[in-house]
Amino acid sequence: MLHIKCPHCGMRSQNEFSYGGDATVKRPELNKEISDQEWDNFVYNRKSLRGKHLELWQHLSGCRQWIKVERDTATHEIFKTLKANEDI
Amino acid sequence: MQKYSIFNLIKNAFSGHQKWDLAWKDATPKKEYDVVIIGGGGHGLATAYYLAKEHNITNVAIIEKGWLGGGNMGRNTTIIRSNYMHDDNALFSEFGMDLWRRMSQDLNYNVMFSPRGIINLAHSDAQMNIFARRGNSMRLNGIDAVLLNREEVKEIIPMADFSDNVRFPIFGGLMQPSAGTARHDAVAWGYARQADSMGVDIIQNCEVTGFDVSGGKINGVRTSRGDIKVKKIGLCVAGSTNILAEKLNMTIPVETHLLQACVTEPLKPVLDKVVTFGAGHFYISQSDKGEMVMGGDLDGYNSYAQRGNLPTLQHVLTEGIAMMPFLSKLKMLRTWGGIMDMSMDGSPIIDKTHIEGLYLNCGWCYGGFKATPASGWTFAHTIAQDRVHKLNEGYSLSRFNTGHLLDEKGLGTKTWIS
Amino acid sequence: MTQDFRLDTVGLINRDKKLSFIFNGNNYFGYEGDTLASALLANGVHLIGRSFKYHRPRGFFGAGVDEPYAVVQLYRNNETEPNVKATEQELFEGLEAKSVNCWPSVNFDIGAINNFLKVFLPAGFYYKTFMWPKSFWYKVYEPFIRKAAGLGVASTKHDKERYEHKYEYCDLLIAGSGPAGLASAYAAAKNGARVILAEDKPRYGGTLLTSEVNIGNQTGKEWSENIITELKEMPNVTVRNRSQVFGYYDHNMLVMLEKISDHLPKTKKYHPKQRLWYIRAKEVLISSGSIERPLVFGNNDTPGVMLSSAAKEYLKVYGVLVGKKPLIFTNNDSGYETAIEFKKNGVEPIILDTRKEPNSETIEEAKNLGIQIKLSYVVVAAKGYKKVDSAEIAKISDNKNNLGALENINCDCICVSGFWTPTIHLASQSGNKTKFDKNIDAFVPGVSKQNETTLGAANGKFTLEETLKDSFDAGYELSKKITKNENKILCPKVVEKKKTTHDKFWCVPLPKGKTYKRFLDFQNDVAVSDVEIAVKEGYRSIEHVKRYTTLGMATDQGKTSNLNGLQLVSNIENKIVPEVGHTTFRPPYTPVTIGAIVGREVGKHSRPTRKSPIHYWHEKNNAVFVDAGVWLRPRYYKRGNETLFEGSKREAKNVRTNVGVCDVTTLGKIDIKGPDAAELLNRVYTNAWLKLPVGKARYGVMLREDGIVMDDGTTTRISENHYHMTTTTAQAANVLSHLEYYLQVVWPELNVNVVSTTEQWAGVAIAGPKSRDLLKKLFPKIDVSNEGLPFMGYLEGELFGVHARIFRISFSGELAYEVNVESDNGSFMWEKIMELGKNFEIQPYGTEALSTLRIEMGHVAGSELDGRTIPYDNSLEGMISKKKDFIGKRSLNRKAFVAKDRQKVVGVIPLDKKTSIPEGSHLVKDKNAQLPNPKLGYISASCWSVEFDNPFSLAILKDGKNMIGQKLFAMSPLKNKTIAVEIVSSHYVDPKGERVRS
Repeated sequence: MLHIKCPHCGMRSQNEFSYGGDATVKRPELNKEISDQEWDNFVYNRKSLRGKHLELWQHLSGCRQWIKVERDTATHEIFKTLKANEDI
Repeated sequence: MQKYSIFNLIKNAFSGHQKWDLAWKDATPKKEYDVVIIGGGGHGLATAYYLAKEHNITNVAIIEKGWLGGGNMGRNTTIIRSNYMHDDNALFSEFGMDLWRRMSQDLNYNVMFSPRGIINLAHSDAQMNIFARRGNSMRLNGIDAVLLNREEVKEIIPMADFSDNVRFPIFGGLMQPSAGTARHDAVAWGYARQADSMGVDIIQNCEVTGFDVSGGKINGVRTSRGDIKVKKIGLCVAGSTNILAEKLNMTIPVETHLLQACVTEPLKPVLDKVVTFGAGHFYISQSDKGEMVMGGDLDGYNSYAQRGNLPTLQHVLTEGIAMMPFLSKLKMLRTWGGIMDMSMDGSPIIDKTHIEGLYLNCGWCYGGFKATPASGWTFAHTIAQDRVHKLNEGYSLSRFNTGHLLDEKGLGTKTWIS
Repeated sequence: MTQDFRLDTVGLINRDKKLSFIFNGNNYFGYEGDTLASALLANGVHLIGRSFKYHRPRGFFGAGVDEPYAVVQLYRNNETEPNVKATEQELFEGLEAKSVNCWPSVNFDIGAINNFLKVFLPAGFYYKTFMWPKSFWYKVYEPFIRKAAGLGVASTKHDKERYEHKYEYCDLLIAGSGPAGLASAYAAAKNGARVILAEDKPRYGGTLLTSEVNIGNQTGKEWSENIITELKEMPNVTVRNRSQVFGYYDHNMLVMLEKISDHLPKTKKYHPKQRLWYIRAKEVLISSGSIERPLVFGNNDTPGVMLSSAAKEYLKVYGVLVGKKPLIFTNNDSGYETAIEFKKNGVEPIILDTRKEPNSETIEEAKNLGIQIKLSYVVVAAKGYKKVDSAEIAKISDNKNNLGALENINCDCICVSGFWTPTIHLASQSGNKTKFDKNIDAFVPGVSKQNETTLGAANGKFTLEETLKDSFDAGYELSKKITKNENKILCPKVVEKKKTTHDKFWCVPLPKGKTYKRFLDFQNDVAVSDVEIAVKEGYRSIEHVKRYTTLGMATDQGKTSNLNGLQLVSNIENKIVPEVGHTTFRPPYTPVTIGAIVGREVGKHSRPTRKSPIHYWHEKNNAVFVDAGVWLRPRYYKRGNETLFEGSKREAKNVRTNVGVCDVTTLGKIDIKGPDAAELLNRVYTNAWLKLPVGKARYGVMLREDGIVMDDGTTTRISENHYHMTTTTAQAANVLSHLEYYLQVVWPELNVNVVSTTEQWAGVAIAGPKSRDLLKKLFPKIDVSNEGLPFMGYLEGELFGVHARIFRISFSGELAYEVNVESDNGSFMWEKIMELGKNFEIQPYGTEALSTLRIEMGHVAGSELDGRTIPYDNSLEGMISKKKDFIGKRSLNRKAFVAKDRQKVVGVIPLDKKTSIPEGSHLVKDKNAQLPNPKLGYISASCWSVEFDNPFSLAILKDGKNMIGQKLFAMSPLKNKTIAVEIVSSHYVDPKGERVRS
């Protein structure tokens, strides 16, 4: 069971969180003209890296904040956790 | 090649079984091939076999990073079925069922295909209706399906929870009588043995380090055991697709996740069907050895660890007991994890790519094992003819752009929710 | 009464308490403190079962968790448990056990015919045959094989035992209470650390209970008892026996199984059978010891052949002699220690040592005691079928390739020692990349990945002195890191006999002309010849060998066989062991009861059940409930013998003619506040939201980014910056997370707060032509006329002193209202409605009537919004704003989504106006077409229209827009039904929507 440091609440067990996927995927701005490729990259295409992976989690059974977690997808080592509005 | 038969088994017994041939040779890479299949799992081995058998293309190498059949081929729960709702999935899988039924004889290797039937349990009328939609679709596609009511389910699997102390009572179930299981390792070995006998080079412990692409065309592949010139490459590496895609500067609609499975200690026969829970995600069958083979949800976050976590297993087994309370008393003997290619609509991709000579076979989610023969057959066709077969038309890479999605579960792009 | 093989005084059992038990129908007795294995051995019973494949007789090989053979069917408290290791099961009064995998009995087992056919059944034989004729595998061969395989029998009764979970945090978790565990626990505890010490056996002390050593002027046993006593009294220490740490997971989370009641005849009231501990440890010390390795020779699976350490443990802990003419076969000094114990207790052992000229203090002692020692000797084969009665031995050449003349020697047991294998499972599970230690021919932990340290024998350190020194140091240093204290305990002085190096030899060659089976894996019957065949046939990776031969895959998971298997493969392949590599270690270390993993979430508690505050009224009034997500909702209120069909029709009819009331508390409710709330709604919903006035509600549809409909519901503007959103019951949690995601991650600039208020409000829908009359009675002081509260209007009021929110919204298509009050007042509201509604012939209605009402109105719901449909499919295209952007809009222009013949919701009526169309039927043009028959669409929902008194269904149909008026067939092959139907508009009742505005 992972041990995740919520930047708002401190160390908590994984079962308080829910996963939210790749945090590097940026939603295109509203009303902006973009190509199909750009839109598909946002909706469907993923790098899903082996190794360091910046991802979203929500502290669902805690403060309900979405947070960013930098985790190794092969070893599950967590290097860093950030608030949703912080950048690595 | 030696034929496997009872007579040869007896004959060999008298020489102390010292005269059996190698099932396959450990080849060293040549400088050049017509086709290189990357990935010595079931799909890669089957592809090579059908390239040789159906298309007479034998100057083929399979290159495998580890040992053949060591990925999801050797880590699945061996379930074989074609109980799909979408036509593309159903017809593809049913074509595969036919290959499964003949496989032991085709390969002269007993893969122990055992059509014992699968039951998907339903726990509400609404779910019965959803299953009816799927079952009727199967029947109209020529696939066997039976809708069972509660009493009929009870007759077949009385050990399921029909008591009053149940959170999700069983309303009935959808059964595909011709579904079943097979011995997963044997499938890999059987394909390897036949492919090898037709001239395919099986190269283990050979890792792909890069590709030689120029002018939008594949020219070769770089490996830990040297460069290989080749015009056509079939990528067949579920679980590592994202890693190789990165080497090709491609991003694909696939994420990599971990799925766990576990077995109990061996027991005398108690369950002769494959059964799935309807109020969650849990499936079970009993192997020929007597072990109860079980699985369920993904671990729930991107992973390449081949090693699972306990909360998911606990959740999965909770559903197991909710379905069949007697499981509570059994002991879990072994757990393991497999790395899944989770595609964004839950269905696979077998297609050409924007790079000439590069063919993609990925995105199998949990459904890779059952698809082994059909995947190999259609992928071989796609590579040999440089065009997709009607059976894998639906499995195009472009469907994510065009909206022709094949979402059996209606869950969309959150691949980690299973 | 005496027992033939029990010593009078030796051992740690309680001779004052006799326990009777039954094995295979025979009555025996043992003592408190015995295991089933020790008690059987005390009674001279060696034959315990049959092997998996050849059904060869099986005895006891070990004395604990490593036991490969001795699994039994246990009977306890009217239940039965398969595959219990007799070496682990503690004896209790009335215990009953039977052999597994034999028929009719363990003495005469029909399956043993396989033993005579074994030349035809080498590794993988089943892959090479049973293929003809084609159907025979499933029909004939497989059932036969399945019946023969498997060990014990599972009872399919429900488990009546209770299992509990416990979560713990500690500074140091120490797995194993042998010398390493005790020393490190003591040093750390004295230095102020919070320590958990786990021991899988009932007794603490590990090898100190059986070895002749001296620590600080005490015997090993005394020292361990004193340390444990002191540890138990310390407030910062938790000591647990019968507790196996079986899994090492991520971020130093370990899982331990504590067996609370397995050693008792039945579980005490209110006690669990077992308890699962989740332990998050800052540091982990692995002191799990080592397991003796077998030596491999002919028929080495015969009952009576066992590990020399096991023989010693039976003797010293249980006072049991495993034989009276023991032959000790060893390649190291450990065998001598066992021999010395025999000798001290009046039994004459003979030692066969594979070494030529070994010399050490231990060997000296054996010599001085006059024990017969034969150097450069090996056991070639055990003799005897159900029990060893002699052995074929021979001198072996210095290069270990040639055997001398075979000699027969009388013996009744053969105790083998092939040196020791460190138990590295937990270290390996933690991610530690293990390394091969040539000095001990085994793997030891390498570099740690997590905060884990392995000590003592588990780390390949086999002298007590070194173990204690390392362990005292580790306990101190690791605790200091955490507590910052510096109370150091000095390591006591150790006296132990010195040993010399072991012989790398482990597998006796076959003499010419002999075909003895030499077993590696005893339970799965994997012999040296099987591995040789596998490698010869090209199954060369250790994983291939394992899978082809099943080596190490039995219930002991190869604890005694894996390393010998590796050695063999490396010998054949001319490689060194680390090049072959070992297979992966995964949890659990030893099999774990599934019930313990699951805990209390079983039966009705397998998932939470949520009930509305009005639930008890429903219950009292004969509601038949249905699961709606985690909620229970009334499906209909049964009157007399009414069926669901009849009851729901009555309820729906009453809504259309009078007034009905429905509990809608379960709908998701989200409170949305902030200056940018309207902007958020405008981005989340497909329609326009910026101009919704205060006091008005609006229907909205939200999409996922891929363009698929995610949810629908109404949102009401309560005040300037305050909105109340409703969601479907099923999607409530997802929608809240969805909003939070966009607010926190994507558009943090929006100043909005969202919070779930689902549980805070009880909600009811009041629907029907008489609903306004009823509302007037409920809220006499406010104007609820069509002008005062128009369609999609909102008011607040007092319901007999209770604050209420009144929404004029309708799902049923009738004139309808929804009233919310605070949850605590839900019951009060409901009862008031029922009381005042009597005059208007009110009836409560359930989800089934609700369905009927919405279907005949053509309102889409879950069965249409199934995660695969876009707004157009649901005739919601009018809800899509062309002017603004919103979540998922960019996806709606996909080719398939804008296809001319895109699917769309339609109404379906059977031509005979009588036959209900089963939900899940498919619509086809030609009912007799060849399969696969092209499907045009499917029936998503069916009802009996109470308005028109005939069946009506909704369908999602290809090119639905242009299909109105077409005749098709609805086919349900599952139900053997083909119904001729006509496609009509989905808005069957009140297509202009006049009623809701009336």
